[in-house]
Amino acid sequence: MNCEEVRRSVQDYVTRELEPENRRLFDAHLVECAECQRELALVTAVVSTLDHQPVLEPSPGFRGKVLAALPRQRSLVLSPWWSLALAPLLAGLVWLFRVPLERGLAGLLGQFGGSRLAVPVISLQGAGIVAAAVVVLGLLVTTGGAVFCWQTYLRD
Amino acid sequence: MFEHMESASEAALVSRSARGDEQAFGVLVERYKGMLYSMATRLMKDRGRAEDAAQESLIKAWAALPAFKGESKFSSWLYRICYNTCISELRRKRPEVELDEAMGVPVAGPVQEFRNRDIQATIQEEVSRLPDDYRAALTLYHFNGLSYEEIAKLTHRPMGTVKAHIHRARAVLKTRLVERVGWDNLKEVMWQ
Repeated sequence: MNCEEVRRSVQDYVTRELEPENRRLFDAHLVECAECQRELALVTAVVSTLDHQPVLEPSPGFRGKVLAALPRQRSLVLSPWWSLALAPLLAGLVWLFRVPLERGLAGLLGQFGGSRLAVPVISLQGAGIVAAAVVVLGLLVTTGGAVFCWQTYLRD
Repeated sequence: MFEHMESASEAALVSRSARGDEQAFGVLVERYKGMLYSMATRLMKDRGRAEDAAQESLIKAWAALPAFKGESKFSSWLYRICYNTCISELRRKRPEVELDEAMGVPVAGPVQEFRNRDIQATIQEEVSRLPDDYRAALTLYHFNGLSYEEIAKLTHRPMGTVKAHIHRARAVLKTRLVERVGWDNLKEVMWQ
């Protein structure tokens, strides 16, 4: 190894990234070259300082400030999967209010010239299907929204 | 309860924090505040702004914790949030310093009676004069202990570029050290 090659490898030598064979050649050159010894001493001083940079401490009360600034809503926002629990409740409500719902639907169909169409009777099973469909739709929207928000927030 | 929390494992604290436990998150803040603040200070060169950036990073981490799946180390994940926060803040506030400009800053002459801590202080000072890319790569490698590969992924640069930035930055620091301190003074300190 000549001086130029040693200068090119000196950083890898100090950070122990130089392959063993090249390390041996480097050492052999170093024994007889004062200039390269000086180069090695300088790079060692730089790398050693960079490796031992002190940890700086933020101002007292930093932890308190961070905790006080945390958005409180997160602990109140339930997972979107909890909305599944709403399905039976929603189905019950649709079943309970089936009479006004049927009347309302009949009025709506009549207004748009659909008087010839039969107004469907809301059965218990039908109420369950309507409720499940609403919940699944809500689940998709909230999950998609949450994923989008997290990704946008992290990207910035 | 709180004392017990202080000695809890990182995985347990992360898991509790993800479920909204502020006390557990407070312990994580305590453990990482120094590293995040130091990293932000070195990237931003301004202690006031660095503290804001460290705080913002932790708030972002809190919000994103439910999405943290543990695919990387928690510390690496946190450093990534802090790095992104600092970089977007730097880009928002001022244009990046070019290498030629940074290299053109006049340096002080040799100083007598130099001591080891002065070498360290000189290098630290010169690190703060490096261009943003160089300073960021050096900080992530030497201070945060990330590998070239991790830095490349984090900074969206090829690994060869990251390695070249680190090598060139160290070479600049070495040149500056000799210019400012003088080889004779350095020799005295290094071989004393």
